[in-house]
Amino acid sequence: MRSRPLALIACSMAALTAAFVMSNVVHAQSNPQQAAAKSTAAAAPAPKRDLTGVWQLQGGDGGAQPIAEDKAMPPMTPWAKVKYDAQKPGYGSRGAAGGNDPILQCDPIGFPRIMLMPTPNELLQTPGRTIQFWEREHEWRTIWTDGRPFPTDPDPAWYGYSIGHWESDDTFVVESMGFNDKTWLGPTGYPHSEDMRVVERYRRVDHDTISYDMTVTDPKAYTKPVVTPHRVMKLKSAEEISEQPCVWSQENEFAQRIRNPATPQPAK
Amino acid sequence: MNLRLAVFLFLFAGLLLVCGPVWAHHGNAAYDETHWITISGTVTEFVWSNPHCQIFVDVKDDKGKVVNWAIESQSPGIMRRNSWTRTSLQPGDQITVTLAPAKNGAPVGFSGNADGKVIFADGRVLKMNNR
Repeated sequence: MRSRPLALIACSMAALTAAFVMSNVVHAQSNPQQAAAKSTAAAAPAPKRDLTGVWQLQGGDGGAQPIAEDKAMPPMTPWAKVKYDAQKPGYGSRGAAGGNDPILQCDPIGFPRIMLMPTPNELLQTPGRTIQFWEREHEWRTIWTDGRPFPTDPDPAWYGYSIGHWESDDTFVVESMGFNDKTWLGPTGYPHSEDMRVVERYRRVDHDTISYDMTVTDPKAYTKPVVTPHRVMKLKSAEEISEQPCVWSQENEFAQRIRNPATPQPAK
Repeated sequence: MNLRLAVFLFLFAGLLLVCGPVWAHHGNAAYDETHWITISGTVTEFVWSNPHCQIFVDVKDDKGKVVNWAIESQSPGIMRRNSWTRTSLQPGDQITVTLAPAKNGAPVGFSGNADGKVIFADGRVLKMNNR
């Protein structure tokens, strides 16, 4: 028992040190220019108006990331709160085994949630459009760059309708609308409505790095825009996008052999 | 380096070892990612499928009773990035797996993040956390 006070002291000191270190990390991450300046030391300069390549979202311990931390989410409308309470996620502060995440039955992950996946995406530019492939789901979208406006009454879609433009030689801005309300904003179960609009900014800060920011505006669901945390994507030059569909028969077999046995049965 | 600093660093490193899995936790709620365990046994099946590969291993418990463990792994694309192939495991192979066990006590676990690994009979180690 003599070692306990020593361990407590060590734990407290370590926790303080860790907090100090982490606060510096958080601070560095919250300052994209600083972070960018650091990474430019090694990487070649960014090519102009070019995002072509295979990119991987950084951070989140390699797992799916929440759209934003709970404390950073704006207040929900009563409409959204009803949905939120009904959505039982497997991740985050409300995470529990089982649940009703739609992707457990291979529903499309949808946009913008698919941007929060750790698996890579590939951007390809061609006149009039940029194509984005996602390894997860083996899914893709067109980002129109031919100057067209949004359609006036698009059918609600899992991946919406996207138009993009170069705001400067290094920054590509994508606006998206036309979503259905069946997808979650991320693995922690935040809802959105069909009115959702998403603005993304891809800033290529150097050859190997995209500084990525996303804002979700959905007045039917949130009283203010959801400003997501600043994120970074890294170029994976040697990577090929591989096939990762959600295959219902295989997912179902997985559920029967692994997910369900690992899920506590409700008390009788 | 003075002694007190050395002791502090030693304890801090120990704390990191203990707390690391907690920080690594990303909410895979069915599994206890704070208590990783290691099992050894004989592969019965290796399922190479989307979105989750699966490893099944017969493990003998203390009393000699054989329990078939089911291990959630990553997708084939992620597995390949970690040097796995669809033939990496064959029935009969002897392996040792570090995994986060199911909280409900079932012989099920998750080996797909930074703390998980598979050690082959010849000593090779493969992980599955590089996306």
